[in-house]
Amino acid sequence: MPVKKKRKSSGSEDPSIRKCKITSYCRTQTPGRMVNPEDQFSNKKCLAWFYEYAGSDDIVGPESMEKFCEDIGVEPENIVMLVLAWKLEATNMGFFTKEEWLKGMTSLHCDCTERLQGRLDYLRSQLNDPVIFKSIYRYAFDFARDKDQRSLDMDTAKSMLALILGRTWPLFPVFHQFLEQSKYKVMNKDQWYNVLEFSRTVNTDLSNYDEDGAWPVMLDEFVEWHKARNIAL
Amino acid sequence: MAEDIQHNQKSNFNGLTKPAKAGASKKLIIKNFKDRPKLTDSYTEDTWLKLRDAVGAIQNSTSIQYNLEELYQAVENLCSYKVSPMLYKQLRQVCEDHVRAQIHQFREESLDSLSFLKRMNRCWQDHCRQTIMIRSIFLFLDRTYVLQNSLLPSIWDTGLELFRAHIVSDSGVQSRTVEGILEQIERERNGETVDRSLLRSLLGMLSDLQVYKDSFEQRFLTETTRLYAAEGQRLMQDRDVPEYLHHVARRLEEENDRVISYLDQSTQKPLIAAVEKQLLGEHMTAILQKGLRTLLDESRECELTLLYELFNKVKGGLTALLQSWREYIKSSGGEIVSSPEKDKEMVQELLDFKDKMDLVSQRCFQRNDTFINAMKEAFENFINKRPNKPAELIAKYVDSKLRAGNKEATEEELERILDKIMIIFRFIHGKDVFEAFYKKDLAKRLLVGKSASVDAEKSMLSKLKHECGAAFTSKLEGMFKDMELSKDVMIQFKQYMQNQTDPSNIELTVNILTMGYWPSYIPMDVHLPAEMVKLQEVFKLFYLGKHSGRKLQWQPTLGHAVLKTEFKEGKKELQVSLFQTLVLLIFNEADECSVEEIRTATGIEDGELKRTLQSLACGKARVLNKTPRGKEVEDADRFHFNSDFRHKLFRIKINQIQMKETVEEQVSTTERVFQDRQYQIDAAVVRIMKMRKTLSHNLLVSELYNQLKFPVKPADLKKRIESLIDRDYMERDKENANQYHYVA
Repeated sequence: MPVKKKRKSSGSEDPSIRKCKITSYCRTQTPGRMVNPEDQFSNKKCLAWFYEYAGSDDIVGPESMEKFCEDIGVEPENIVMLVLAWKLEATNMGFFTKEEWLKGMTSLHCDCTERLQGRLDYLRSQLNDPVIFKSIYRYAFDFARDKDQRSLDMDTAKSMLALILGRTWPLFPVFHQFLEQSKYKVMNKDQWYNVLEFSRTVNTDLSNYDEDGAWPVMLDEFVEWHKARNIAL
Repeated sequence: MAEDIQHNQKSNFNGLTKPAKAGASKKLIIKNFKDRPKLTDSYTEDTWLKLRDAVGAIQNSTSIQYNLEELYQAVENLCSYKVSPMLYKQLRQVCEDHVRAQIHQFREESLDSLSFLKRMNRCWQDHCRQTIMIRSIFLFLDRTYVLQNSLLPSIWDTGLELFRAHIVSDSGVQSRTVEGILEQIERERNGETVDRSLLRSLLGMLSDLQVYKDSFEQRFLTETTRLYAAEGQRLMQDRDVPEYLHHVARRLEEENDRVISYLDQSTQKPLIAAVEKQLLGEHMTAILQKGLRTLLDESRECELTLLYELFNKVKGGLTALLQSWREYIKSSGGEIVSSPEKDKEMVQELLDFKDKMDLVSQRCFQRNDTFINAMKEAFENFINKRPNKPAELIAKYVDSKLRAGNKEATEEELERILDKIMIIFRFIHGKDVFEAFYKKDLAKRLLVGKSASVDAEKSMLSKLKHECGAAFTSKLEGMFKDMELSKDVMIQFKQYMQNQTDPSNIELTVNILTMGYWPSYIPMDVHLPAEMVKLQEVFKLFYLGKHSGRKLQWQPTLGHAVLKTEFKEGKKELQVSLFQTLVLLIFNEADECSVEEIRTATGIEDGELKRTLQSLACGKARVLNKTPRGKEVEDADRFHFNSDFRHKLFRIKINQIQMKETVEEQVSTTERVFQDRQYQIDAAVVRIMKMRKTLSHNLLVSELYNQLKFPVKPADLKKRIESLIDRDYMERDKENANQYHYVA
């Protein structure tokens, strides 16, 4: 489970310091960028930056990824890392290839740690746009998927859902519980996509859920399970 | 005589009027009358006194001093002299006085009601008689004066009017009369005999006086309603439903009789309606709830017929009966179908139940189409309440009937049973389950040679074809074709064998089964004796020489053989399965074997082997002995050949075991059906999506329900749809999750 793998050495020593760094940097950086932003981006610098982390195989692997996270002051399991990966169109969780890096960082105008730190708020703000959020959500499925499998194994799916929907969807804890007790071993793409639709359109009390609708059976079962449990309580 | 006078008079008139009109062909000379003779002044006075006396005599029923002709003449004379109005007035006055005087006899309080009625009747009869008499005398007045004058009632009507005004309209008298009549009717209803002619006469009177409706009918109907409301309540409590129904029928008959005997015809409708409402309408639900089940359970045709007829009369009656009948079939049928412990008898019970319900609808419910349709609908409903099992059991029931050794039925009876089965079969939704089990059983019948009659098999096949179409039976027909082809092949093979240099001492019969037509059998590897293996090779060479490119696979589970055996008693032939054969052949070499040794030698799978040993050592014909003895075969058991075996027959069949269905077989057949259904759903989804390209979920589901011929839950459909999405046969619309697109 890649998400967890990265977590082990993420030092939680001083998040406050990190935050300070970011904010202070933002303040000084903003005027500079406004003077002449084009000039300041350099392909060469960006490439060099890439090789700070990448090994000889032209890829940033899980180990260097942690270092990278530490450098930009973000925990690996922070959602902004998902947005960044989406921006870079990274295909595999825990890896950035050279092409992904160059293409993505260029579009972000980032060639060094500080610049990227300056763009983190922008990346976070992307989550507020529902259309972009949906595309990030859908991207997350393929991103997190073991490329040998068609579907997401259930543990990864649960962690990813917690990351993306955990804070915004009130029913998430219940849904998580449902998945815990269900017999499902994997979550397929269709189910994944529909969980977002479900979280967006169905009321917290499930009052507007249409059993005859096209919802995947997994969600039918969730609703049934939840209702039965509510009666039992 | 009266006629004559009238005639004369008329001709006088004619004499006066006719010439004015005619005058064409005949000439008539008109002469004036001579002067009218004058009457004496006292004539009018005297004549009236005479007439009054006569009227008085009639009214007092004494003899009249004058002869009637004289009186009639007197009236005529008076009328001719234009004193009609006065005469009429005077006559009316005399009558009125008389009628008014009659009231006193009804004032007597002490009179009991029957005597009162009798007195009233007498008074009325007298009045009528008198009025007729008086009218006869005053007929001339009636005809010439009263009838010409539309405002005046005729003498007869005057009489009625007077009687009504002075006698019957008296509230005391009227109510006593009506009360009295009602009392008599109530007595009669309670079973007493009453004077019906008296009632008829009095009710006729009320009718003639035109007070029947207002004074009597209304009260009568109220009374009837009250009486039968109470009776209905009471009897519904006290009596059971059949008794009650008979009672109601009798009541209705009585009331109809009452109408014919003494009530006015117009009362019939409201009266019968009131009785029906009170005795039936009010108790419909109770009758149906309390009684219908028992009546149907016990097939009480007579009461059911009555029930139908009675309910037919009441508004909403048949609808209620129909509803209850449907419910009854659903619940009774549901009981038959839904108790697994009674599965063995289910089909027979269904057939009996259907027969019973058919009988009721034919004989008792007048073949009413709505009832027959409701029955069909109810059957379909309950039989599908429990999925799959009824279909399976029907297939097995047919098998039991088509199997050899079923001596209970002649050809015609069998045919009839099959027809009935088809009716039940028609109700089944999951016909594929039936097909799977039917096919499995048919295969066994054909292969083990246990089919009772080819004709019956073919007949059943054509029934199925007729019912479900050629696609349903094509594989079954293929099985029959295989059997016929195999026969031809065997003839050729025999000739082939004769030309062989190394003739075998075993006779081999092979049935060649086309894959796909037959149920799939799990191939089982067993150790055949060398002779058999050799023969198999010979056949293979022969067959593939004729049909190159085919693949032969031997199915030892289906084989059977006849073994020649020598017991102490003498030679016997044993008809046994191939597995049994393999086991028995071991005992050609060994005297005693353990289960393990037999297993190694034959290679038969454990469960199958134990069943085989059980059939040989624990069944009816025990050609093997088992130690220790017992019904079940254990791993530690040892077997030896039973040379003391005795049997009255020369050829003994021990291969019934092959016909028996094992639990695994049952499970795998059912599973195969379910698997097939999944494929069918998938195929249907793809077919629909390919045609429509884009379709909403609900439309797709309803289209699927149209196409699929077996029962399926929406969730099952969804699972298949999701699976197809997962396998990229289709996809969900990116924006609208309720919409699917076909993926080419």
